[in-house]
Amino acid sequence: MNCQKFETVVSELARGQMMAAEQRAEAMAHTDGCDDCAARLRDEEMLTRGLQSLASQMEPREASRAVEANLLAAFRARQVVVPIAKRKSNTRYWLAAIAAMLLIAISILAFRWNNRSANEPIEARRREQAQPPTPDVNDKSKEQFARDIPKADDVDVLPQRPKPKHVRQVNLRRADTAQVANHVTKEIATDFIPLSYMSASSLQDGGQIIRVQLPRSALANFGLPVNMDRYNEKVKADVLYGVDGMARAIRFVQ
Amino acid sequence: MTADLHRRMNLKSELNDSELLRLMLAGDEEAFALLYRRRQGGIYRFAAQMSGSDSIGDDITQEVFLFLMREGHTFDSSKGTLSAFLLGVARMYVRRRLKAEQRLELLGDTLDDDDAPFSPQSDMCPLEDLTRAETIESVRKAILSLPEKHREVIVLCELQGVSYAETAEILGCAIGTVRSRLHRARAQLLTMLRPAADVEQRDSATVKSARCFA
Repeated sequence: MNCQKFETVVSELARGQMMAAEQRAEAMAHTDGCDDCAARLRDEEMLTRGLQSLASQMEPREASRAVEANLLAAFRARQVVVPIAKRKSNTRYWLAAIAAMLLIAISILAFRWNNRSANEPIEARRREQAQPPTPDVNDKSKEQFARDIPKADDVDVLPQRPKPKHVRQVNLRRADTAQVANHVTKEIATDFIPLSYMSASSLQDGGQIIRVQLPRSALANFGLPVNMDRYNEKVKADVLYGVDGMARAIRFVQ
Repeated sequence: MTADLHRRMNLKSELNDSELLRLMLAGDEEAFALLYRRRQGGIYRFAAQMSGSDSIGDDITQEVFLFLMREGHTFDSSKGTLSAFLLGVARMYVRRRLKAEQRLELLGDTLDDDDAPFSPQSDMCPLEDLTRAETIESVRKAILSLPEKHREVIVLCELQGVSYAETAEILGCAIGTVRSRLHRARAQLLTMLRPAADVEQRDSATVKSARCFA
């Protein structure tokens, strides 16, 4: 064993720690031939004895009696408090659980109610389309309006919006496509209203939707209420043109 | 009635720490008293030796057992002994307390003579006469002068007789780290306790042995 290796084991040696008998013998043999390491071991042994003296002097010392008395008093007080605290915390958890369940139930109900109210106009319109139409005064005005609406080529597209967004090629395979479009654009729109008797059946053929602005009085032609205070203002509308370029249906957009 | 109480206490005193803790958490005051009497000494001495103050030792002991009342259910016997758990808690409170004391000192409090960093007063090595009370006091002061990390291992391994493995568990480090910290702490203590003239002689010897290693 050399001095460097001795240095790594000298503390263990002086503290009387468990170590291999062979290693201990080697270390002791090294101190026989090396005065510095022998002195180092003596210092370490003296330090160990010094620490042991301090430890034995401290051994009988304990915390004061007052600490035990305080702790026992705190323990007794706690025994009264703990069950109440437990009950409170359980109640809190139950309340939170019930509130969460109520919230979920209300959300489900609201979702179903929304779905039902959204489907009702479509169902009503389907029923209406199934029955043979009866001409009345309003239908006459619709016919008149269909003639008044300009052809696709003559429409003045809104200047503030880019054209591709307003002129959309759509395939009206389902009657509720308008509803889907409404959800996407977040606009409020009426359902498509056919402009002639032929238009209702040809709605399924597909076509082109063009956004136009019309006088607010046009609402009256379709039996829709008109706000007389804003009579002179314009309203937005989507006009569905058939493949032949004729206006088939219209919906009003807000 | 008293005889019955003594008989019950004797029966419970044979229970191990974990069993006493379980009873204590169920509200058994006797179990708490037994556990306190069994473990308070080690915690008190650890805190007093780390801080050098008996009153801090009392405060920390109280804090540790109040913690046990509140958070005793967090003890997991599969991770170590209750003694190590309590010493770990005591260590946390001691560190917090010492930091607070340091802040007070920085605010302008002057050190008392008792708290002054240790320096050998005479040419004689204090370790040479272990019978004198001054010698033990010198060792105590030298320990208090150590950096906190080194003081912890000296107090635990040397003064409390805690094993390396348990010390590593208390300090939250590897056993190898405990060994190396202890080795360095002992070297620092020796340097502090050795008279100045002896230190110079040792330094020259170190140079000589360094050459020998080369």
